Amino acid sequence: MNTFRRIVTGALLCASLSALAADTHYTIAVIPKGTTHEFWKSIHAGAIKAQQELETKGFKIDLIWKGPLREDDRDQQIQVVENFISRHVNGIVLAPLDSQALVRPVASAAAAKVPVVIIDSGLKSDKYESFVATDNFKGGVLAGEEMGRLLDGKGNVILLRYAVGSNSTEEREAGFLEALKKFPGIKILSSDQHAGATRELAYQASQNLLNRFGREVNGIFVPCEPPTIAMAKALRDIGKAGGKVKLIGFDSGTQSVTDLKNGDVQALVVQSPVKMGYLGVMTVVDVLQGKTVSKRIDTGVVLVTPENMAQPDMQDLLHPPLEKYLK
Amino acid sequence: MRRLINILGPLLGLIFVIGLFSLSSEVRPYFLSGGNFKIILTQSVIVSIAALGMTMIIISGGIDLSVGATIALTSVIGAILLNHNFSPITAILLTMLAGGLVGLINGAVISGFKMMPFIVTLGTMGIARGAALWISGSQTVNMPETWVNKIMEQQNPDHFFPLPLGVWLTLMLAGTVAVLMRETAFGRYIFAMGGNELATRLSGVRVGLHKIFIYALAGLLFGLAGMMQLSRLTQGDPSGANGLELDIIAAVVIGGASLNGGVGSIPGALIGALIMAVLRNGTSQMGWPTYVQQIIIGLVIIMAVGLDKLRQKTR
Repeated sequence: MNTFRRIVTGALLCASLSALAADTHYTIAVIPKGTTHEFWKSIHAGAIKAQQELETKGFKIDLIWKGPLREDDRDQQIQVVENFISRHVNGIVLAPLDSQALVRPVASAAAAKVPVVIIDSGLKSDKYESFVATDNFKGGVLAGEEMGRLLDGKGNVILLRYAVGSNSTEEREAGFLEALKKFPGIKILSSDQHAGATRELAYQASQNLLNRFGREVNGIFVPCEPPTIAMAKALRDIGKAGGKVKLIGFDSGTQSVTDLKNGDVQALVVQSPVKMGYLGVMTVVDVLQGKTVSKRIDTGVVLVTPENMAQPDMQDLLHPPLEKYLK
Repeated sequence: MRRLINILGPLLGLIFVIGLFSLSSEVRPYFLSGGNFKIILTQSVIVSIAALGMTMIIISGGIDLSVGATIALTSVIGAILLNHNFSPITAILLTMLAGGLVGLINGAVISGFKMMPFIVTLGTMGIARGAALWISGSQTVNMPETWVNKIMEQQNPDHFFPLPLGVWLTLMLAGTVAVLMRETAFGRYIFAMGGNELATRLSGVRVGLHKIFIYALAGLLFGLAGMMQLSRLTQGDPSGANGLELDIIAAVVIGGASLNGGVGSIPGALIGALIMAVLRNGTSQMGWPTYVQQIIIGLVIIMAVGLDKLRQKTR
């Protein structure tokens, strides 16, 4: 018992001493929209990559990874942000669930002198330090142009939207529709349906849409991972997969990459969530170090097709080295 | 005195969870601060106000599963009213009435057709959620900046005071409902109905009518909780408060109420809501993953009810 107590006291002493010694010790909270999708795991991996790199430079970073209790619950995410402000973390990296609802908590953080870096989705505010994200509109344009090319500029197209109030996907949808304007021969059959947040909901929405438009449709665009997988599955169900209907998705996950390889998906617009998590943490540390950071940092998008997917740089995007960082 | 003993269990639970998060010397200075307890109180407002209504319903021997959906519906209604230039006071009153109407329907169907509350409110849960999506066009409803947004706003983050208006409102309402439950004939009927409905009916109480009252009154409170949700999100969210009914029922049960009816208390329910808010706040600050917090809340519910059974046996 005595030995045990001595060890505990020793450990506590060491912990407090090391905290005193390193004045570049930061506690940084990274708050995703959810924790189950592979996309968020890649962001997490990127954040850990930044942490490891910073530690070789003599920083000590405590990374707290914490999503809302129920995904898609705005109130829960607000609570998480508030709790970290009151915990006096040094910085927050946040992927806001809603561009409006998270405005006030981010303003509170600014008032409490906790710098916030926004990642992935935009926020209708200027109280953050930097917005590190994909240029989603550009991603949508890329998808629209590819759709025009695949269909030779004529045919019927469906846009299955993701969810209401999600800024990142709405930008992609807008970009896609904008790019299609250059192809007068393309008619849009449906662009007012939302897939919903889970794969199951997206599957149901896909089946419903295909039940209605399955005979006429030539091309489909979906703006993120869960509906990409769901739509490919729904297309297989009715025997329209494998290129009969051209499907362009967004983001990569294990299943959607398999679908791309098998030809059920014709193209994926891929962003770099690892880079987003990495730059999110790096940027917030730059702010804490007193460096000036750009208010908008673009993390880039590329179009991955079955033809170019074997290239090593594409492979890195499609199969982020998660195991290396997430143990 | 017996009343005091009844809330002793939940109170000890609250002290236990606060103690749990105070153990870590790194987190303690932040966790045990006035500013943080202001945050915890604010975060528990919605569940607390709804738990006041739910306590009445559960003590009377009923249950209401439609609360979460009603909160979403009324938050959307509130946002739409504000968009149509109703004054905030009018909007709040009309929103509460909308909640009351959902409750009135629940009560009338349960009482009129002698149906199980579980089934009826399971139905209205779907209806209210659907109605919320319908009138909002399945979109979040943004609204102009009014003092409604300030009800749940936390000023001066480093100090306990000033508390947001929503917290004061919760405390005042809790006092009112507690007095109503303890000191009026209506309150005693609620306990009696939950204890033994048949005996209460036979002794001349109009049980059916009182049931309608209980659900409608609780509905008014759910409407107010919806308004608090609106203030917090600064927008009406038709998909919000999803599954919140379970948090609310858990708060009431942790607070010592029995789902068989006849037993329960308003202070207990408030403490129950606080326990859950403290757990959420503490696990965030400790950096524990979300699933830990879900598991702990689950354990707390079972332990709270288990302790209650034990106490009843030894009495």
